[in-house]
Amino acid sequence: MAVGSAGRWFLLPGLVFLFTIDLIPLLYSAWISFYNWWLLRPRDVRFVGLANYARLASDAEFTRAVVVTTLFTSGAVLVEFLAGLGLALLFAQPFRFLRPLRVLLLLPLFVVPVVGATMWRVIFHPEIGVLNYYLSVLGLGRPPWLSDPTLALVSITIVDAWRTIPFMFLVMYAGIETLPGELYEAASVDGASAWHRFRYITVPLLTYIMLLAVLIRAMDVFREFDIIFVLTGGGPGTATQTIQILNYRAFGLGHMGEANAIGMVTLILVTLMCWILLRAVLGRRGAPA
Amino acid sequence: MTRIEKIVWSVLLVFTVALAADAPGWAQSKTITLSMLAGFKEDVVRANLPEFEKKTGIKVVVDAAPFADLYKKQVLALSTGAGRYDVVFVDEPWVPPLSEFLLPLNERMKTLDVADFVPTTLASGAFQGQQYAMPVDCNVQILVYRKDLFEQKGLKPPATWDELLSAAKAFHDPAKEKYGIAITASSDIQTALYMLLAQWSYGAELVDASGRGGLNTPAGKKGGEVFLELLKVAPLNVRSYAFADVNKAVQLGQAAMAIQWASGAKPMEDKQRSSVAGKLGYVKVPKAVRQTPMRGVWTIGIPKNSANQDAAWQFVTWLSGKDFGQAAMKFPSSTSAIHSSRISVLKDPGTRSAVPYADTLYDSLQIAKERPRLREYADVQEHLRVTAGKLTAGELTLDAALKEIDAGTNRILGK
Repeated sequence: MAVGSAGRWFLLPGLVFLFTIDLIPLLYSAWISFYNWWLLRPRDVRFVGLANYARLASDAEFTRAVVVTTLFTSGAVLVEFLAGLGLALLFAQPFRFLRPLRVLLLLPLFVVPVVGATMWRVIFHPEIGVLNYYLSVLGLGRPPWLSDPTLALVSITIVDAWRTIPFMFLVMYAGIETLPGELYEAASVDGASAWHRFRYITVPLLTYIMLLAVLIRAMDVFREFDIIFVLTGGGPGTATQTIQILNYRAFGLGHMGEANAIGMVTLILVTLMCWILLRAVLGRRGAPA
Repeated sequence: MTRIEKIVWSVLLVFTVALAADAPGWAQSKTITLSMLAGFKEDVVRANLPEFEKKTGIKVVVDAAPFADLYKKQVLALSTGAGRYDVVFVDEPWVPPLSEFLLPLNERMKTLDVADFVPTTLASGAFQGQQYAMPVDCNVQILVYRKDLFEQKGLKPPATWDELLSAAKAFHDPAKEKYGIAITASSDIQTALYMLLAQWSYGAELVDASGRGGLNTPAGKKGGEVFLELLKVAPLNVRSYAFADVNKAVQLGQAAMAIQWASGAKPMEDKQRSSVAGKLGYVKVPKAVRQTPMRGVWTIGIPKNSANQDAAWQFVTWLSGKDFGQAAMKFPSSTSAIHSSRISVLKDPGTRSAVPYADTLYDSLQIAKERPRLREYADVQEHLRVTAGKLTAGELTLDAALKEIDAGTNRILGK
């Protein structure tokens, strides 16, 4: 057997895994999205073509959910990126007292999302919440964190950031630790300021790491469900009603065709978002996207 | 065949014969799985389960889910036909949607003293002439008021919405953290039901006689206006309130009145949890052109695909029976109580002493109004919930909300 053809067989386990775990369920989900399938009427399953997608396209509630999801994703990823990068830069400094704090900083990452969200629900409680207690002590009143439409979106962003800034920090800190120290020493000898060292050494060398972290988080935030469900359930009104909340509702009411259509649209939007991000970052650098 | 082989085969033969002889008893599972509401009513059921298990030898595994998830979980479990649940604790509006997957109980219930159930509660488990579930908790909305405060001001408990609004304004003093009435205005389902209660009493229907949405009418608008007026005399954070917050506002002595399910009244009378225990009075919900306390009976049914239907029926008869009913009426529920649907229990002097609102509960049940009995009701109510949430969040005006509710109802019902 030639070496080349033998090599192809080694692909087999990977391909089998890819098809059974990823592609077959995905194709099945896409197939269901072309059907009117309501679990309460199991004997009345009809092929409806693109009707589920057409309904989503004309549904103002779905359009608003796309807007809310985009706002939430942009806000959360931006906050997490800036905070994660800032903390990574801080912890990269040679201060010994910071070392034990690294472990504490990672703690929210290990909290189960639903538990974390429930804890924050109590913290945000307008009357018995600890946050409003201290705010009122400072004379800042008692903001309705989860019942005001604008504050509710801010609140779920805060909780998401609290939970995942450690992830951003971890990835970027690991990246910074691998950067060659000689470059910084040479730049310092040449008289480069801290800002210049950051702008012309750290950022270019860390671009791929930052891009990877942002991509992973953007995909996660776009599909975020548990935090929003526990904190606001999509309310007040539709202020925090993301695509995944709508998807959950459709599944919960047994509308499998519509729910799978929402799932497919999510997949398309996430893919589109990643493509735009890759083009924006890598295209500008002249690297292949 | 060697001697050892003979011994092994003999042992295996004896073992097989023994198992076959005992097959019916051995094959009959003594464990059933209950799909239960989490947080509310769960405590009283769990506390009494050992008694059922001891009496019957049937072990009950409880799979509890929060209210917002319970129906969704039951739909997915029952429709897949996996036989995951043997008994399901079902809120009455879900009986028509789930009836496709529930076992008709008409034959089995002939062994029960059916006349002992409050008739309207029995109807809550029926759909299109078949009984799919038995009533367990005879829930209905009632008006709770502070007897002491009303006496101080020389007021009578309100009988109409106008009197309710007037009394609420008289007690409303946000600077002192005193509020006229506790209700909800969040995206919680209770908000939509409060609004619907007011609209019903002005004569509007969620689904009218022609099967179309019927809230975008003068009666629906008047009811909606009354609901919005109530929010002005409610606690400041009413837009984040859910069922338990209404209880809390009363228990802390902040609210002079509350419209609440009867199940929520029990914890209000618990001296351990409530600063106003013993100071509360109870009357039927206010009326306008009619009096329409909303019925919200919790029922228990058996999935068609349960492999343990006989054991499940034993559990159903126990949970809807007098013994459990008596125990439940006396149980100090933390958030939401279970009140037996049995007339004999509701009228029993022993249990009545533990439930000061027994008369109001019983009288309200006589005139209670049910939500539309439709297979599509879950969709209709979900749309109502979302739209009512938009109204209270200020995303929609009342006119726009009523229009949207009817449009959604018509779309769901194919009208």
